[in-house]
Amino acid sequence: MMLNPSDSSSCNSDVHRLEVSDLECVRGDITLYRGLSFSTSGNRCLHIVGPNGCGKTSLLRQVCGLMQYDQGQIKWNKEFTPSHTEYKQSLAYVGHKDGLKNELTAFENLQFYQRLNSGNDEEEIDNCLARLQILKCADLAAQSLSFGQRRRLAFARLLIADKPLWVLDEPFTGIDVDGRTLIETLCIEHLQNNGLILMTHHQSLANSPLSQWRDELNLEEIGKNQ
Amino acid sequence: MNTLFLYFQREWKLMFRNTGTLILPLIFFLIIALLFPFSLPAEVSLLQRIGGGVIWVSAVLATMLSLESMFQADYQDGTLEQMVIHHRELSLAMMGKVLAHWTATGLLLTLFSPLLCMTFNIPSDQIWVLFFGLLLGTPTLTLIGAIGAALTVTLRRGGVLIAIIILPLYIPILIFGAGMLSQHAQGLEIVSQIYTLGAMLVLALTLAPFAIAGALKTTIN
Repeated sequence: MMLNPSDSSSCNSDVHRLEVSDLECVRGDITLYRGLSFSTSGNRCLHIVGPNGCGKTSLLRQVCGLMQYDQGQIKWNKEFTPSHTEYKQSLAYVGHKDGLKNELTAFENLQFYQRLNSGNDEEEIDNCLARLQILKCADLAAQSLSFGQRRRLAFARLLIADKPLWVLDEPFTGIDVDGRTLIETLCIEHLQNNGLILMTHHQSLANSPLSQWRDELNLEEIGKNQ
Repeated sequence: MNTLFLYFQREWKLMFRNTGTLILPLIFFLIIALLFPFSLPAEVSLLQRIGGGVIWVSAVLATMLSLESMFQADYQDGTLEQMVIHHRELSLAMMGKVLAHWTATGLLLTLFSPLLCMTFNIPSDQIWVLFFGLLLGTPTLTLIGAIGAALTVTLRRGGVLIAIIILPLYIPILIFGAGMLSQHAQGLEIVSQIYTLGAMLVLALTLAPFAIAGALKTTIN
């Protein structure tokens, strides 16, 4: 099964491309999917849908290189697999867990990620926090932030790193209406900059501003076709 | 090198925000060692003879105790995932983390060991032997222990399992570390023990980070 969302003539080398072919996911004794193939490229948002337990998160984790796969291939720009440094340099992931240290302040959490990405600009951190409307919490320890604020902080991490491939697992969980609009705006800006997004979200994105950038991949149908 | 430093620095920051857990292994170490003089016959010569061994075993147990929490918090809050997918070398990052962990456990225990030696009435020239032995031995204990901690990070109660996996691997260090002391008490040379402990440390420093990184990648799968 081949899903080719974007214009197939976009073989432009500037456009990033993620190709997954013949991918298999086995959890315990259950095969979640087999022979899964799709490709997506710059400025598209691939929305992975399906009921609970159909392997959405597993697929994202495989794409991130967190979960190993025995069969199939994941290729970034035709060359790099998830274990390559070039692939890792292009990838940012926000999963169910925020990846924040409770003992550190919001500012310090971001600062650590910025330094890991060889940056050192305190103003930029403040800008990112302001962008997600949590600047007033900058000096609070992450453990005293609310769930929604922590999610926002996790998103601030995406802005600080400037990576073309965003992998978002249920990005709107625990986020209020304002926050959702904000994150959608950030996603659209990212897409306009030729970024790529892979996301799971249990609701339809048809009415969201993201809809015009969106392609859908239904894991349940893929499971049935086997 | 920068990766190592960044993680070392972050780990230090985290430890000092959490002073409660920071001093736990040290207190554990002191209490375990102090139980022995109370429970054994009050003979100075006996305490002198077994003191070194008791302090070594206490150091091993205190290190053990601190291992379970080493990667657990990182696993639960998702920072471990972020470390694994980051392009910076995971083994170097983990080395930074483990070394920082050692400064809070092994190094701290070593610094307090002369105090314990006094309760066992160990002569002052032997205090130095024990001190250097621990200084060389405890980083190896932490590095090897970190492999066990990495292997059991996803388990809810992995502490006992770590002990079963790791304690047998501590035996050589214990033999040379505690052996050094009795050798010295008999007036023999202890150079060979120092070299052996040093060699084990170098081996652990070079190989353990890769084992830790590999174990983490596999277990969080």
